[in-house]
Amino acid sequence: MELQPIFIQMLALLLFAIGLATALARRNVFFVLMGIELALNAVNLSFVGFAKTLPAAESVAGQIVPLFSIAVAAAEACVGLALVILIFRNRESVDSDNYSNMKG
Amino acid sequence: MLLHLLVLAPFVAAVLMAATSKEDPKSSSRLAFLFGYAFVALSIALIASGNQATEAIEWFHIPGAKGSVYYYLYSHGLGAWMVLLSTSLSLVALMTARNTLDTNYRNFAIGIFALMGAMNGTFLAADAVLFFFFFEAMVIPAAILIAAYGGKERTKAAMTFAIYTLVGSAPMMVALWYLVTVADNSLVLSLAVALQNLDPAMQSTLLACFLLAFMVKTPIFPFHGWQAITYAEAPAPLSAILTGAMSKAGVFGFIAWILPIFPLSMEWVDAMMWLGLLTAVYGAMLAFRAMDGKKLLAYSSMGHLGLAVAGVFSLSESMLPAVLVLLVAHGLSAGAQFYLMGIAERFAGTRDIEQLGGLAKRNPVFGSLFGFVAVLSLAVPGTAGFVGEFTVLMSLWDMGPLPALVAGLCLILSAAYMLRFVQKVIFGTPARQYEDGKRMTALEGSSIGVMGVLLLVFGMHPAFITNALQLFDENAVQEMNKVSHPETAPVESSTVEAPADVVDDATADENVAAVAQPMTEEDLRQLDSNLKANGFSDEERASLIAQLKAMSESEVAEAPEQNEATANEEASENE
Amino acid sequence: MTNLPLWIIPLFPLLGTILLGTVAVVSSGSKKGPSEGFVGALSVLFPALSFVSVVLLAFGMPEEGIRQTLCNWIDIPMLKVNIGFLFDGLSRVMLLFVTGIGSLIALYSIGYMHGDRGFTRFFAYINLFLFSMIVLVLSDSLLLTFLGWEGVGLCSYLLIGFWNHDLNNCKAANKAFIVNRVGDIGFLLGMLCLATLGGSAILNYDALNKFIEMLIAGGHVELATPIIAIAGLLFFVGCTGKSAQIPLLTWLPDAMAGPTPVSALIHAATMVTSGVYLLARLSRMFSVIPEVLMIVLIVGMLTAFWAAVAGLFQNDIKKVLAYSTISQLGYMFMAAGASAYDASIFHVFTHAFFKAALFLGAGAVIHALAGEQDMRRMGGLIKKTPVTACVMIFAFLAIIGFPGFAGFWSKDLILERLYTNAPFGEFFYGVGLLTAVITAVYMGRLIIMTFFGEYRGPKEKEAHIHEAPACMLFPMVILAVGAVFAGYLWADSLGIKFFEGTLAPVVGVAQDFVVGKLAVAHVNPMAFACFGTAAALLGMFIAYAIYGTKRLPRLHAKWGSAPEGFKADWTFFFDYIHSIFIVMFKAAAFVADVFVDKVLQAIQWTIGAIAEIVGDGVSSFQARKVRVQLTLSLVGLVALTAVVLLTGGLF
Repeated sequence: MELQPIFIQMLALLLFAIGLATALARRNVFFVLMGIELALNAVNLSFVGFAKTLPAAESVAGQIVPLFSIAVAAAEACVGLALVILIFRNRESVDSDNYSNMKG
Repeated sequence: MLLHLLVLAPFVAAVLMAATSKEDPKSSSRLAFLFGYAFVALSIALIASGNQATEAIEWFHIPGAKGSVYYYLYSHGLGAWMVLLSTSLSLVALMTARNTLDTNYRNFAIGIFALMGAMNGTFLAADAVLFFFFFEAMVIPAAILIAAYGGKERTKAAMTFAIYTLVGSAPMMVALWYLVTVADNSLVLSLAVALQNLDPAMQSTLLACFLLAFMVKTPIFPFHGWQAITYAEAPAPLSAILTGAMSKAGVFGFIAWILPIFPLSMEWVDAMMWLGLLTAVYGAMLAFRAMDGKKLLAYSSMGHLGLAVAGVFSLSESMLPAVLVLLVAHGLSAGAQFYLMGIAERFAGTRDIEQLGGLAKRNPVFGSLFGFVAVLSLAVPGTAGFVGEFTVLMSLWDMGPLPALVAGLCLILSAAYMLRFVQKVIFGTPARQYEDGKRMTALEGSSIGVMGVLLLVFGMHPAFITNALQLFDENAVQEMNKVSHPETAPVESSTVEAPADVVDDATADENVAAVAQPMTEEDLRQLDSNLKANGFSDEERASLIAQLKAMSESEVAEAPEQNEATANEEASENE
Repeated sequence: MTNLPLWIIPLFPLLGTILLGTVAVVSSGSKKGPSEGFVGALSVLFPALSFVSVVLLAFGMPEEGIRQTLCNWIDIPMLKVNIGFLFDGLSRVMLLFVTGIGSLIALYSIGYMHGDRGFTRFFAYINLFLFSMIVLVLSDSLLLTFLGWEGVGLCSYLLIGFWNHDLNNCKAANKAFIVNRVGDIGFLLGMLCLATLGGSAILNYDALNKFIEMLIAGGHVELATPIIAIAGLLFFVGCTGKSAQIPLLTWLPDAMAGPTPVSALIHAATMVTSGVYLLARLSRMFSVIPEVLMIVLIVGMLTAFWAAVAGLFQNDIKKVLAYSTISQLGYMFMAAGASAYDASIFHVFTHAFFKAALFLGAGAVIHALAGEQDMRRMGGLIKKTPVTACVMIFAFLAIIGFPGFAGFWSKDLILERLYTNAPFGEFFYGVGLLTAVITAVYMGRLIIMTFFGEYRGPKEKEAHIHEAPACMLFPMVILAVGAVFAGYLWADSLGIKFFEGTLAPVVGVAQDFVVGKLAVAHVNPMAFACFGTAAALLGMFIAYAIYGTKRLPRLHAKWGSAPEGFKADWTFFFDYIHSIFIVMFKAAAFVADVFVDKVLQAIQWTIGAIAEIVGDGVSSFQARKVRVQLTLSLVGLVALTAVVLLTGGLF
C-alpha cells in the first residue's frame, strides 16, 4: 500500500504535539529546546508530505523550503544553546521557572 | 547632494567612528575633528548655494493615508542657518569634550554625530512625517549621551528629558496621522489645503497638538519642567548643542510648520505671543535666582527663546529675518557660554556660582573670554544679539506698545542676571580653596573666540544672515506641487494660495538695492497707514505724502552715483 | 584738508582697542606684562591721531556739515539703517573735546596706572570708550548713536569694575550698567515710537528734522504731537539714565569706584554729557513738544539743586566732585529745557575742561596720598603739591563762576536764558542762582579741606607726599588753561559770539521756533553778570566762614580708615525708590521660583508617579513562569486564529 499523504501529516502533527508539550511542560531548558527542535522538524516533515501530493515539477519548492529551515534551525540551536549557557552562568540553574526576571 | 550629505553622512560618520579605538582618544578625536570640519564646510556651502531641494523619493506608505511619505529634503535660509548652528556647535563640542572626557571619547563622538544627523534632518525635511521622524530621533542620542556622560543625577535627567519630550510630541504624532489620512500627502502645501477644509474645532485641536510638541521642545512656560535639570546634568558640550541647536527645533517648528499650514486665528496668535513674553520674563526671573551656573544659563536660554517665539507670533513682515538673527545670535552666544561654563566647572570642580569666583585672576585668558561672551549675550549694539532683539522688539511694537515694553523689561532683566553671573564667576575672590583643574586649551579658547567674533561680524553686517532668506519661494511651491500632482504640473500653482503666511513670506523679501534712498516707497506706504491710524484725514495725508516724495526725490537726484555704487556692491555681494 | 573720510576718526581708537586688547590677552599669562612705555605710547597715539584728524576736518568743514554714508548696516523689511556719519557744528564741538580731553587723560593715566596689573587692559578699555563716544556723537542716525550710547555704558561698566577683585567695585559697576540699561530701553522704545510715525528711515536725523518741518509746514503738528511727545519722553528717560538725572542718578556717585582718570573722562567730561548732546541733536523734535521741555526743565532744576545740597555733606573727595557733576548736568538740562541748546552745549564744553581738571587734580592728590580719598585726612597740601593745588584752584574758580573764568560765561549764559526764555523764568533763575551759591560753598569746602589748614592724616604718611610725575601734570595744566580761557569762545557781555555761530546751523531753528513765540524780556546782560558774581562771592565767603576760620578737628579714630561709603549718601531717597522696584522684582522672582516652579514640578512628577503606579499594577498580571507565559501566548494565538477563521477576518 502506498504511503498516503494523510499519514505523513498525522505523524507530523503527532511529532509537533509532542514537541510542544515537551516545550511547555518540562522545566529543564534543554528539554524545552529539544521540544522546540522537535516541533520544527515536524513542520519540515509536513512540508515534505504536502510536497509529495503535488506534480513532480512543482513539488521541488516544498522540498527546498525544509532544507532552508533545517539550516536556520541549526543556527537557531546554536544561538539558543549559547543563550542557555550564558543564562546558566548567571543563574546557576537550568530550571526555566527560575528565570523570572521579567516580572516587573 | 549637499542635503543628502548633511543628513545622511553624519550617521555614516558615527558608524565610521566606531572603527576607531576606544582606548586612544587622540586618534579618534582626530577623525572626529576631521568629520566636524567637513560638516561645517558643507553647511556653509549649503547657505552659500541658496534654496534647493532634492528629488522626492517615495519612502513608505502609512496605512490609511492617501499619499505616501517622501524622503524629500528642502533647504531654505532658516533651515540652512540652523544646520550651520548644529554642525558648528557640534564641532566645538567635540573640541571641548576632548579635554573633559578622556575615557571613551569615541562613544561621545558617535553620539554627537548621530544627534547632528537627526538635527540636520529636522531642519531640512520637507515632508511632515520625515520631519517628525527626525524630530523624535533627536531625543534618543541626546538622552543616551546624558545618561552616559552626565553629572550626578544623570539618569533622572536623561529619563526626564526623554519622557517629557517624547510624551510632548505624542499628540503631534496622532494629529499628523490624522492629517495624512485627509491630505493628499504629507508635504506642506497638501497639509495646508487639507486643513482649510476641516471644520474649525478640528483645526484647533490639531493646532493644539502641534503647538504642544513645539512648546515642549523650545520650551515655553508651563512646559519647561525638563529643561533646567537636563541642561544642568548633561555634559557642558552637549548642553551647548541642546540649547544652541536642538531647542531651535521648537522655534523652527513654529515658523516652518505651524505658520504655513495652519490658518491661525487672532486669539491663538495673541495667546502664543503672550506665552512667549511670559516665558521670557519667567526665564529671566528664574535665572536671577539660580545658584547653579548651568541652570542659570538654561533659564537664560529659555528667556531668549521665549522672546523669539513672541517675535514669531508678532507676524510682522520683518518677523522672519528678525527671529532668524535672534536665533543665530542666541545659538552662538548661549553655546559659547555653556562651553565656558563647562571649562569653569572643569577648572574649579563645581558649578555652584557661590563657590566660584576670582577666575579672572586665576585664569586671565579664560576670564577675558568669559566676560567677552557674556557681553555678547547682553544684546549690546554691534553684536548680532542686538540686531535680533531690536528687530524682534520692533515687530512686537507692531502688535502694540505693551508687548514691546515687556520685551524691553526682559532686556533689563537679562542685563541684571548676566552681570550677576559674571560677577560671581570671574570677579571677586574665590570662595574656597581648590586644586586647579585643567585650564582652557588654546584650541578651545580659539574656537569659542571665533564664535564670539562671528557674533560681532553678524552684528555689524546682519545681511550675511538675512540676505536671500525666503521660506518658500516660487520654485519650491511649484516643485512641491509637482510631487503632489505629477500629471498636471505647474499650472496648478494658483490654486494653492491657501495660507496667507506663505505668500507673505515669499514677498516679504524683495529688492535689496533700494536701501540707499532716504525714503522708499515702502516707507511712504508705511507712513501713510500710520498716519491714517493716527487720525489724519485723507487730504492731509495725501498732501503730506506728496511733500515727502518731492523731498526724497530731490535728495535722490543729488546722490545718484552713490546709490548706484551701493547697488553694484550689493549685487556683487549677492553673487 | 577736507578730503579725509569721516570714518577715520573712530577707526583709530578702534584699531587701538583691537591692538591693545590682543596685547592684553596675550600677555595676561606672563608674570611681567608688556612694557609700559610701549603700551602707553600706543594708547596715547591712537586718540591723538583721531584728535588730529578731527582738527583737520574741523577747519575745512562747510557750514552745513559733512555727511557720509559708509555702508549698509541692517537691511530687513521694516528696518533699513545705514552706517553714516554726520559732522556738523554740534558734533565738531563734541568731537574736539572728546578726542582732545581723551588724549590728555590717556597721557595722564600712564602715570596714574603705573605698575597696575591691568595696565594694558585699562588702555584697551579707554580706547574702546573713545571709539564708542566718537560713534555716539558722529553718527547720523539714532540707531548708530544707540550703538555708541550702549557702548559707552558698557565701557563705563568695565572701567568702574576695573579693579574687579573687590566685589564692591563690581556691584557699583553692575548698578551703573543696569540703571543705564533702564534708560537705554527708554531710548530704544523712543526709536520704535518714532518708527511707527515714519518708518525706519525717520531714525536718520536729517530725515527726522525734515519730517518735523513738513508737519509744521502742513499744519499737522497737533495730530502727530501725542506720539512725538511720547517719543520725546522716552528719549528723555534715556538721557536721564546716561546723564544721571533724577530719577536715575544713583549710579554716578557709586561709579567713583573706578580709577580716577576714568571718573574724569567718562563720568565728568564726556559720557555723562551725551544726554545733553542727544537733547540738542533732537532739538527740532523737542521744539514741537513744549510740555516735554517743561519736564526737562523741572527735572534739571531739581537735579541741580538736590545734587548741590548732597555735595555739601560728602567727605570723599571724588564723591563731592561726582555730585557736583550731577548738579552741573542739571544746569545743562535746565538750559536745554529752556530751549537754550547752544548755551547748554557751551556749558558741556567748558564743564569738560574744569571738571576734568578737578578730577585729575583729585587724582593727583589721591596719588600723592597713596590712595587716601577722605578729605578729613587731607589738608595743607598746597605746600606739598603746589602745581596740583593751582590747577584745582583755577578749576574751582571756573566751576563757581568767578568772573573771567570759563564757568562764569557759560553758567551766566544759562541763567540769563532761563530768565528770558523759560516760562516762570524768574523762579528757575532764582533756583539756579541759589544752586550757584551752594556750588561755591561745597567746592570751597573741598578746596579748603584739601589744600589749606594743616595736614590731618597719619604722620608717617606725611613724608611720602609728593607731586605727581610730569606726564600727569602736563594734561592737568593744559586743562587748567582751558578752564580759564575756554569761556572766551562765547563771552556774551564782551560781544564774542563765536560759539553761538558754530552751533546755529544745528540748533538755531529749534531755538528760534520756541523762543520766537515768547515776548523776550529785555534785561541788561550786565545785571546777570553782577548777580552771578555776587552768588559766587557769597558762596566762597560762606565756605570760608564755616570751614576756613575754625580749625578742623583731627581725625577721630572711630571714623575708620576707609573713605566713607560705598553707599551713596543723599541719593538715599532715590536708592530707596529703586530698591522698591528691586524688591518687587525679587519678590516676583521668589514667587516664580519657589511657588510656581515648584507647583509645575509637582504636577510633572505627579503625572510621572501615576504612570508608574499604573505600570506596577499592570505588571502584576505578568505571569511568573516562562512556561506559563509561553502557554498563554499560544492560547492567545489559537484564540486569535479561531476568531479569524470563524468570523472571516476582522476587517
